[in-house]
Amino acid sequence: MTLRIAIVGCGKIADSHVEQIRAVGRGEVVAVCDAEPLMSEQLALRYRIPAHYTDLDNLLAKERVDVLHVATPPDSHLVLATKAMQAGCHVFLEKPVALTEDETQRILQVAETTGRKVAVNYLYNFEAPSLELKQWLASGRLGSIVHVEATYGYDLAGDYGVAVLSDTGHWVHRLPGKLFHNVLDHLVCKLALVMPLQPVQVQCLAYRLRKAVGNPVIDALADELRVTLKAGAVTATAVISGHARPVGHTMRVYGNNDTAVLDYVGRTLVPAPRQTQPGSIGRLGPAVAQARAYARSATANVRRFWRHEYHFFQGMRVLLDGFYRSIQEDTPLPLPYEEILWSVQTIDRIVAQIPALTADGTQEAA
Amino acid sequence: MKILVTGSGGFLGARIVRSLLAAGQHDLRCQIREGRGGDKLHALARELREGQLEVVACNLLSRQDTAKLVEGVELIIHAAAGTRGTPADMMLNTVVATRNLLEAAVAAGTKRLAIVSSFAVYNTETMASGALLDEQSPVEAVGIDKGPYALSKVRQEQLVLDYQRRHGFECVFIRPGVIYGEGGPAMSSRVGIRALGWFASLGGSCLLPLTHVDNCADAVVAAALRGEPGAVFNAVDDDLPSCNEYLGLYRRQVERLRVLRLPYVLLMLGARVLRSYSLRSKGQLPAILTPYIVRSMYRPLKYSNAALKAIGWQPTISISRGLQQTLPTFRK
Repeated sequence: MTLRIAIVGCGKIADSHVEQIRAVGRGEVVAVCDAEPLMSEQLALRYRIPAHYTDLDNLLAKERVDVLHVATPPDSHLVLATKAMQAGCHVFLEKPVALTEDETQRILQVAETTGRKVAVNYLYNFEAPSLELKQWLASGRLGSIVHVEATYGYDLAGDYGVAVLSDTGHWVHRLPGKLFHNVLDHLVCKLALVMPLQPVQVQCLAYRLRKAVGNPVIDALADELRVTLKAGAVTATAVISGHARPVGHTMRVYGNNDTAVLDYVGRTLVPAPRQTQPGSIGRLGPAVAQARAYARSATANVRRFWRHEYHFFQGMRVLLDGFYRSIQEDTPLPLPYEEILWSVQTIDRIVAQIPALTADGTQEAA
Repeated sequence: MKILVTGSGGFLGARIVRSLLAAGQHDLRCQIREGRGGDKLHALARELREGQLEVVACNLLSRQDTAKLVEGVELIIHAAAGTRGTPADMMLNTVVATRNLLEAAVAAGTKRLAIVSSFAVYNTETMASGALLDEQSPVEAVGIDKGPYALSKVRQEQLVLDYQRRHGFECVFIRPGVIYGEGGPAMSSRVGIRALGWFASLGGSCLLPLTHVDNCADAVVAAALRGEPGAVFNAVDDDLPSCNEYLGLYRRQVERLRVLRLPYVLLMLGARVLRSYSLRSKGQLPAILTPYIVRSMYRPLKYSNAALKAIGWQPTISISRGLQQTLPTFRK
């Protein structure tokens, strides 16, 4: 059965949804929808999609949709996802899943009562380094996990950064955790792969390094975040930086047997350096071993490129393939609901500690 | 006459404000986006001896703010546009913003609009090599085959014409070629593109339709103040260099580049291969260069600025002087 798929929300990220839906090949995009008619028109025009709408009810009534992709701002996700599932659609949500854990739980409850399936675009959990990490974890190579470090660079001068910083009406300013709220999923969903899915203790520091521009909305946006977390016996640090260069995206998983070093920019997974020989001669070996490990990762990436499995949004493609297969063949979902719920619960706890900022970039008095 | 200039904090918009002042227009409202170019305009406002220059931070995506922006305005020079970012950004910042401005202008009873468009709207793919591109040349019906920027500018012009037909205000269009000058982009994709440490020279002996930002600003002001309603004006300078000549000057005065010269036949072949690979690999490499784009952008054409000269415009900065002044600034 070829799935009939629609997308609601025709902003920046909608392009990658159309492209990956088509690349997966399990369904076709039959319609798109946006409250702004010019935006739904342009997406339909650029990708030659047969129908475009400004009203989701109208779309759902006319198009017999199997799966709805929700790519609107997160404060609309609960309403749109509920509407779609009640109309019989499975739902693929852009991150953040919703504004709060409570809203996320309500979405998953509707999924349960309607018998529909839900997935969230936690694409980095399906990138090559994460997929390899899952194999390392399953094989016990790392041993018991002791600590995790995750970092995420945010380019304030990039397309997304400029859109937020030049528009006081941008929806990111409405999020309780502002800029971080929109990207925390990229960090926290990866932590869910390695940390016990138990309630998390959180300590958080957020601040702004940019100069003030004199606009209270723009200046209230922090651009540096440091978080310390503990779940069960595992600790983690998470860093979001708008200023560190190069803009990086990494994770380091410390086990009591071995340590994994993941880089999501270069798509590599290598073991941490290990000294196996004594003395100064023993300090020669680790760099050579590292060079060989990176060479193996690079070769694997070239092979993936050759097989056309190295798209910029390859993780999203893998995730969508798993989600659609789950719908078509009734197989387990690629992303367990427990991981989604743990991620949003953790994000809520971090967001609760992100302070409001004053014009000089310091924390507002309580 | 109160004149609103949108995009006043931008590369061209800021020069349009100066050109208006030089033309004796001293009642200006300058729209900027938050945090973009406001300081220079405020300084200009303080220097002004007569009239007034208001600087208003306003996002044209807000209908409410845009409605306030146009209050009491008789002429709008619309220079704000989305020139970077994703295709959705371009549509939002060019097309949706223009629709909001048009709605506000109609509600406020604005008499006249001057729209800064682009050469990108022309359907040059169907033109013969060596043909003259002027204001009578065909325009793209949709623009989608030339990429998101062309699509947004074509749709913008269509919207303006649609509103003009329904509401009857006066409007003129200015379509600049490649705008250059200090603070602007150093290299047009018409000359070539950088890839993997090389510079692929694509334009070869084709003329590069340059217009110095000051000349272009003067052209916009001339068209806005004196152009016949409904008129279109192409903005290019005289004595245009070829893409090769520009590249030669750039390499001598700005930076050394490892240049790979791609003749038209090879370029077309490369575009076909890229398109085919992009399809087979399901977008692993995007088809940024298609045969349609190659035929549209990399064949020799001639350019005319006769329509602008007919309303009294003359380029005040020659190509040789403009390049001499501008190229060293790119070294920074």
